[in-house]
Amino acid sequence: MTATDLPPLVAEGLVRRFDGEPAVDEIDLEVRRGEIHAVVGLNGAGKTTLMRLLLGMLKPDAGRAIVLGFEAAVAPSQVWAEVGHLIETPFAYPELTVEENIAAAGLLHGLDRSQIPIMVGQAVEEFGLGRWSGKRARSLSLGNRQRLGIAAAMVHRPSILVLDEPANALDPAGVVFIRDLLKAYAERDAAILVSSHHFDELARIADRITVLHRGCHVGNLDPSGVDLEKRFFDLVYGADLAIRDGSR
Amino acid sequence: MNRAVRVEWWKLKRSPVTVTATALMVILLPTMALGFYSVAQQGGTGPLAQKAGAFLIGEGWEGYLGAVDQIAAAAMFLGTGFVVAWTFGREHTDRTFPSLFALPVSRTSIAGAKFLVLAGWITLLSLLVVAVSLGIGVAAGVGPIQTAVIGPALLRLLAISLSTSMLSLTIGLVASVGRGYLPAVGALILIVVAAQMSVLFGIGGWFPFAIPGLIAVSGSEGAPVLIPMQIALVPIATAVGLWFTVRWWRRAEAV
Repeated sequence: MTATDLPPLVAEGLVRRFDGEPAVDEIDLEVRRGEIHAVVGLNGAGKTTLMRLLLGMLKPDAGRAIVLGFEAAVAPSQVWAEVGHLIETPFAYPELTVEENIAAAGLLHGLDRSQIPIMVGQAVEEFGLGRWSGKRARSLSLGNRQRLGIAAAMVHRPSILVLDEPANALDPAGVVFIRDLLKAYAERDAAILVSSHHFDELARIADRITVLHRGCHVGNLDPSGVDLEKRFFDLVYGADLAIRDGSR
Repeated sequence: MNRAVRVEWWKLKRSPVTVTATALMVILLPTMALGFYSVAQQGGTGPLAQKAGAFLIGEGWEGYLGAVDQIAAAAMFLGTGFVVAWTFGREHTDRTFPSLFALPVSRTSIAGAKFLVLAGWITLLSLLVVAVSLGIGVAAGVGPIQTAVIGPALLRLLAISLSTSMLSLTIGLVASVGRGYLPAVGALILIVVAAQMSVLFGIGGWFPFAIPGLIAVSGSEGAPVLIPMQIALVPIATAVGLWFTVRWWRRAEAV
């Protein structure tokens, strides 16, 4: 497979340890164009660490994180101009207004200065932030900060999205909004990697679901199948039993 | 780099830390110096008058601006240091640091942009301190306005303000490595204490952070005479601090 044949986002045997303990252990994963790929797992399963490795925020102890054919550690700026991400904390500087935060994100994501007013205006409208556009981010509710964070991650219309629990703190209307937004992006050929704890949500949006447990890839779930939650726990408990028996 | 400079400028000018630090330094420095000057002028045998008298080097404008020099050497290091600590440390404390990865703008540019806007703010702040010190001195009538006396004294105040504030940029390294502004604030206080100790032990001329203070008392009785090599330590230490900070940002992980 040549670099151009590779899916936009690839993890190849990724390993990352903290204090000797593997947080991510030999994980292979691909995110293809037009696909929403979800990673699911209990707290500490390695979802966020995997995303950080793919975004070059962490250096792998082994394996490779590949973004648009380049290793994340050496990917050029044109590659990162195609990427939007929200990992744990939204891009929301408390002292800046909603519009200023989105403009700042747009500039850092490579938008031209001339494009900023138009793109910021569109993002404010699209993400339902009009009422708060001139307000400082510090005065926003948790849910609106999350909306702002996702708007900041997407203001430059990236073709690769990496979102860690994007529905965090959102009200039901916000959850539906993000779901529709991600589906629309995938239909426009974007490659999307999300993490979530909500099986109902995963069943509605994900094309593929990878289950992580204790840093390992322990199986996949078919999003169209029934009772995702039960099958998830079967995989997780199965992995625990395998560890106890020494077969993993 | 331009993009990062613009964003960092927005963050700096909107920050309550910057606004408060600017206001405090611009108003308090000359006001405190005037207070010392006035107490010393009134004379008396009380402990405050004696201390104020010992603090002053010269009479009139020379005495008043000399007092501003001495206060500025320590207070501006602390004041600008707080802003530097916040600028670098807040990305960790506010957990925005991961947002600065996976961008077409490199972290080297972002760290460089932080230093550039801080250096610009420090320059403006130093000019403001000089202008307000002059204004307060004129308003209080500290002495006859003689360009030959006031001009060099104001230039010296500008040099002290700029050098002590630029040295505080090195605190960005502690805020980065310590991943927050609290370790940097601790380091600021330690450096001020270390500067005092180095002067007491007679090696202040070789400790870059003590040099602005020594320039402030130069010409007074018993003050060491600084050689150009010692004064050069100020920009050298600043440059070394900046280099290590940018290097840290280039290599850092968002753990």
